[in-house]
Amino acid sequence: MKEQDKDGLIGSFSRRTFLKSLGTTAVTVAAARTQAVAAELEKANAEKVIGPGAVPVTLRVNGDTLKLMLEPRVTLLDALRNYSSLTGSKEGCDRATCGACTVMVDDVPIYSCQKLAIEMQGKNITTVEGLAKSGTLSNVQQAFVDRDALMCGYCTPGFVMSVTALLRKNPHPTMDDVKHACAGNICRCGTQPRVMEAAMQAAGVLPKTAGLSKTEIIDYGRLAS
Amino acid sequence: MAGWPAETKYIGHSTLRIDAPEKVSGRARYSSDIQAEGWLYGMILRSKWPAAKITGINLDKALAVPGIKAAITVQDGERTVRFYGEELAAVAGMTKQACLDALRAIVVQAKALDFVVNETEGLKSDSAQVWEGSPNASNPKPREKGDVDTAFNECAAVSEGFYHTPVQIHNPMETAGSTISWTDDGITAWVSTQGIFGSRDALASSLKVDQDKVRVLCDFMGGGFGAKFPPILESVLAARLSKETNAPVRLMLTRFDQALAVGNRPSSFQKIKIGATADGMLHAFDLDNYGTGGIGSGGSSAGGGSGVMLAMPYIYEVPNSRVKQAVVNINAGAARAFRAPGHPPTSFGMESAMDDLAAKLGIDPVEFRLKNDPGEIRQREYKAGIERFGWKDKYKKPGSSPGVVKTGIGCAGAAWPAGGANRRTQGEAQINPDGTIEVRLGVQDLGTGTKTVIAVVAAEILGLKPEQISVKVGDTRFPPGPGSGGSTTCASISPTVYDVCSKALEQIQTQTGVADARGANWFDACKKLGVNPLVVHGQWQAGMSSDHACGVQFAEVDVDTETGLVTVKKICCVQDCGLIVNKNTLESQINGGIIMGMGYALYEERVMDDLSGVVLNPNFETYKVSGIADVPDIDILLINMPERGVIGIGEPATVPTAAAIGNAVFNAIGVRVGSLPITPAKVLAALGKVPAPTKS
Amino acid sequence: MKAFEYATALSTDSAQQLAADNGQYLAGGNDLLGVLKEYLIEAKILVNIKSLLGLNKIETGKTWKIGALVTVAEIENSAEIKKTFPGLQAAASEVGSQQIRNVATVGGNLSQHSRCWYFRHRDTVCLKKHGDLCYARNGENRYHSLFTGKSNTCISPVVSNLATAFASLDTTVVVLREGKETPMTITELYQTAFDDPYAHNSLKPGDLILRVEIPTTHTSSSYMQVSDKHAFDWALVSCAAAGKVSGGKISHPRVALGCISPMPHQVKAANDFLDGKTLDEATVSQVADMILQGAEILEHNGYKVPIAHALIRRTLLALKG
Repeated sequence: MKEQDKDGLIGSFSRRTFLKSLGTTAVTVAAARTQAVAAELEKANAEKVIGPGAVPVTLRVNGDTLKLMLEPRVTLLDALRNYSSLTGSKEGCDRATCGACTVMVDDVPIYSCQKLAIEMQGKNITTVEGLAKSGTLSNVQQAFVDRDALMCGYCTPGFVMSVTALLRKNPHPTMDDVKHACAGNICRCGTQPRVMEAAMQAAGVLPKTAGLSKTEIIDYGRLAS
Repeated sequence: MAGWPAETKYIGHSTLRIDAPEKVSGRARYSSDIQAEGWLYGMILRSKWPAAKITGINLDKALAVPGIKAAITVQDGERTVRFYGEELAAVAGMTKQACLDALRAIVVQAKALDFVVNETEGLKSDSAQVWEGSPNASNPKPREKGDVDTAFNECAAVSEGFYHTPVQIHNPMETAGSTISWTDDGITAWVSTQGIFGSRDALASSLKVDQDKVRVLCDFMGGGFGAKFPPILESVLAARLSKETNAPVRLMLTRFDQALAVGNRPSSFQKIKIGATADGMLHAFDLDNYGTGGIGSGGSSAGGGSGVMLAMPYIYEVPNSRVKQAVVNINAGAARAFRAPGHPPTSFGMESAMDDLAAKLGIDPVEFRLKNDPGEIRQREYKAGIERFGWKDKYKKPGSSPGVVKTGIGCAGAAWPAGGANRRTQGEAQINPDGTIEVRLGVQDLGTGTKTVIAVVAAEILGLKPEQISVKVGDTRFPPGPGSGGSTTCASISPTVYDVCSKALEQIQTQTGVADARGANWFDACKKLGVNPLVVHGQWQAGMSSDHACGVQFAEVDVDTETGLVTVKKICCVQDCGLIVNKNTLESQINGGIIMGMGYALYEERVMDDLSGVVLNPNFETYKVSGIADVPDIDILLINMPERGVIGIGEPATVPTAAAIGNAVFNAIGVRVGSLPITPAKVLAALGKVPAPTKS
Repeated sequence: MKAFEYATALSTDSAQQLAADNGQYLAGGNDLLGVLKEYLIEAKILVNIKSLLGLNKIETGKTWKIGALVTVAEIENSAEIKKTFPGLQAAASEVGSQQIRNVATVGGNLSQHSRCWYFRHRDTVCLKKHGDLCYARNGENRYHSLFTGKSNTCISPVVSNLATAFASLDTTVVVLREGKETPMTITELYQTAFDDPYAHNSLKPGDLILRVEIPTTHTSSSYMQVSDKHAFDWALVSCAAAGKVSGGKISHPRVALGCISPMPHQVKAANDFLDGKTLDEATVSQVADMILQGAEILEHNGYKVPIAHALIRRTLLALKG
C-alpha cells in the first residue's frame, strides 16, 4: 500500500492510513501462498540492492500477513509496534539487553529489537498476541495469571514468550532450565520467583493453584515478645 | 480497627490480579502503546556536554529532514546546561527513523565549561562549580546530642568504618514519557506516571492551559519506583510538539536517556564511629556523611525528595551522637525520590556499623540488636525470624566458615515512617440496574496491584466476588486519588472504597427498601433501581489506616573467596504492614523490594566518567540489575496487624535487604566490604588478594 | 541507525562485491546493529549473508569444521560437541542470553567489536575511534586488559567466549580474503588488535570468515568464567583449558584466558612446562603464576589476577574428569 502524503513522500507509509485499513482485524492469507510469495520476493530481490528508502516488506505474524512499506533500517520490533497495531512486544532498551521485545521466529525466541524487519520475510513470527488468538489464554499465560508472575506487566510478554518457547522445545524443564531460558529477560518489579513457579506449573511439575501462596501469616499477638 | 470487618472472605486472602489477563496477552495498552489517530513519533536532543553555555541551536536542517513535522528548542536564547543529557530540543516526525536523522541534523553552538562529576572531587575548594558563585558542598552544622567525645572514651568497644553506597538508577522497564494530543479542545495525555493529578498540574501550569482542559490517562504503566513524578519535561515537550503539528505525539525516553535525566538515588560516603559499653548497650555514635543529588540542590529541574540526608542514627537510640552531613552538587542529573528515599543507604551504613561493633564486642549480631532495638514490633519480628531462619544453627563467628566457598548470615531491620494516606482521596461507584458495578478512582496502578485491592475491598463490603467488580482507574475525570509514592496508595484507596461501597449499600437499601442488599440479594435489589443507575460518591475515612511499617530481613550468602563471587542463597523476611488486604499481590511487592534491594547490594551503580563527564553505563548491559539466575529463595512471614488498619508495603520491603546481605558477606569472610555494590573485585580487595597497580 | 541499502548475497563472491563499497556483512546482527545504533561505524549497505550455502554446517572428523554461520545455540545444544569439545559447549552456553545465542553466529561472535564502554559510548571519542586518548587507561578500567602490545595504548580486551575456547583447542579460522581461503590461528586472528589501537581484530575490510577447524587432539577440554552476575553478563575473566589427560597426567596442554588482553592470552612457556606433568594443585598453581607473569595492573583491574589464577587452576583440574 503506497501512499504519497502532502510532503511528496513516496514510499513512506502514513500511519493514519495504515491503521484505518488494518485496524484490529488482520488480513488473513493462506500460509502456503504467503510463503511462496515471500520466497519469490526473496529470489527476485536476492542480490538486488534495495533501499535506503522504504520498500515493500511482507511479514507473516501470528498467522496473518502484514504488508508494509519500510526502510531497511526498521527493526522487527519497530515494525510491530509502530507500523502495525501489535504493541504487545515492548521496547525496554532497543539494545538486545532486556528481553521485553522477545518474539518467536519459527518457534525460536529472539530479540525483535535487534533484527531488521526486512530479513524476517518468509518466517513465521509469533508475538504474545498470537498465543491467545481465540481469546483463551494459553497454558503458559494462565499459569502466569495463577501464580501472579507479573506486576507492572511491561516485561511480561517477553517472559511469556521465553517460557512458551522453552516448553515447546523442552516440555519437562528443570528450574535451572527455566533460569537459563529466561536469563535474557529483565524484570525490575521482581516477578522472577513467580515466573519460575508459573513455568513449572505450565510444565505440569507444580500443581495448578490459582491464587495459592505459600507465605505464612501470623497474627501479631501470637509473636513472642 | 473500627471499620474493617473481623470476618472476611477476600480481605486478608488472595485474589488473582484482575488485570493479569490483559497483561499476559499483550492487550494492555501502556502510554508507549497508544496509537492515537495520526500520531507522530517524538524524540529529545540532549546535551553532550556535562557543562556548557549554549549560545545557539539551529533547527533548520532538522526541519528539512523528510517526515519531520516540527522541531522546537526547550528554551530560547542563551542558557547554561549543567549535566550530560540535559534536554536541549525536541522533534516530531512520521517515523522513528526521521526523528533520529533530525536529531543528528540539529546544530548546537556551545562553549564547554568546567565540570565535576565526582563527589569527593566536588568537595574540594578548587573544584569546578556546578552553580556559579556557589560552593558545591553545603556546610551544615552538626546535629549533636549528649557529649559524644566523652562518651567514646567510656565505651568498652568502638568500631570505626567507612561505608559507601552509589547512585542508583530507577530504570523501570517502561521508560518515562507519554503520548499527548493538544488541540483547541485541550490536552489529552496518556502519561506513564505515578500521579495523574500531579502530571495534570504540571502540564497545565507549564503550558498555561486551564486545568479543566487537561485530561491525564494512565490505565497501565510499566513501573516507576519514584522516577515518574513531575517535573515531566519530556511530556511538556511532547505537548508542545503536538500543538505545533496538530497531531498526537508519542515521546518516550530511550533507555539511554533514562539513566541521565529523570532522577536517581543519591550516593553516600559515610564515616561512622560507633561505640558500646561493656554490657552491649550503644553509647556513642558519630557520622560524617556526604552524598550527591546531582545538580539537585537548588536546581531548577530537581524532582522532590532528594534524600541525601540520612536519618541517623537509624532505628537505635544512642544517648550520645553527632551527625554531620553535606550535600555535594555535581554535574549530573538531579536526584528524585527512589523507593524509600534515604532509607536503604541509611540502613546499610547503620546496620553494617552495628555488625562491625558486634564483632568487636564478640556478641551475636541478632542478640546485639535485641538488646538495643527500641521497636516492639521489630523485636518480635527478629524473634520470629530467628526461629524461622534457623539463625542459631546457622550462626558462626565471622570468617570461621571452612573451605574456599564460605557461607555467612546477616540481618537488618527497617523503620519506615510513612505510609499513611492521602486524606483527600475520593471515589465513586456506578451501580446499574442489572447489578453490574463500576468503581472509579483517579489513581494509578504501578504494578502494585492497586486495581485488585479496589476490587477486593468492594467485593468484601458488597458481598460480591472480586470478578464482579469492574474497576476503572487512571483518569483525571475520575474522583481524585493519591499520587503513588511513600507507600500510601493502599492506605488511601482502601478506606475510600470502603466508604463508597458502604454508602452505596445504604443508598440502595434506602431507595429500594431492601433491608440488606449484599450478596445474594444484590441483583434483586439493583433491579429495583428502575432505569437509572445509582452513582455514589465517597471519600477517605479516618480510623481505617495508619502508618509506620517495620520489617526485618535475614540473608544467607555463599562467597567464593578465590573469585569473590557472592551468591545469595536465601532471604527470610518478617514483615508487618497493618491489615493485609490482598495477600498474593502483597507478597509480590515484598519479593520485588527484596530483589531490588539485592541489586543495590551486589550489582547496581551509576558510573560517571571523570574525564568526559558522561554517564558510562546508560543501559542494562553495564548498569546491572538482579536477574532470574541471581534471585535467591525468598521466604516471607507476614505479620497480620488488622488493628492498625491499612499500611503500605512498597518501600519498607526494600530497606534492609542490602544491609542484611552486606552483613552476611562480612559474616562469611570475616572482613567488611563497606562499599556497594559488593562486586567480586571488592570482595577480593577486602581479602587482600588484589595486587597493586603496576608502576609504569 | 543511519539509512542503509540492503541486499541478500547468494555467493561469497557477490557478498564481497556487494559489500565492497562501505558495506558490512549481516549475519546474526547482534553486534552489527548495536554499533550502527550508536553510530560507531558507517555502513552504506548491509549485505545479508545468511543465505550463503555451506557456511552453516558442522562436519565431524579428525578435524571438525564448524561453519561461520552456525549459531552459538547450535553449538550449545549439540550433544556431539558437548561430548567431543565440552569446553567449547560450555563457552557457548554462557554467551549472552538464549535470545542472543539463537541468532549469534560463530563468525559474528569472533569478529565482534570491542565492548569497552568508552568505545561503545556515542559521546566519548576514544583512541579506538581515532580520538586523542584511551579514556580507560587512567579512567574506569575495571573491565580492561592486563596485557597488551608494547606500542598499543588501547586496553580494550577480547571478550568473545568462543575465542577463549577456540584458542585452547588450537582452532584454525579460515577467512576468505581477496578470493583466497586464508587460514589463521586465533592468535593471528587477534594479533592486529593486540598491536594496533584502532583494530578490533586482524580482519581486513571485505574479509569473510568461512569456518573454524578444530583438531581432535585435545580429548579433554573445559571452560569457566566469572561475571558480576550469575547469567547474561560479560565475563570479567574467562578461561579455557584443553589437553590429553591420562592417569592424571596431561599432554598437549593448552590454557587460554579471555577478557584480559586484546587476544586470548596464552603463554607457550606455561604450556610447555605443564606438558607431561601431573595435574595437581601445586602444579596448576605454578602454571597460573607463569601465565599471569608480567600482567600490567591498572587502577581498577587488579582483581582479575586472582580470578584468572583461580580459573586456570579450576579448568585444568577439571580436565581430570
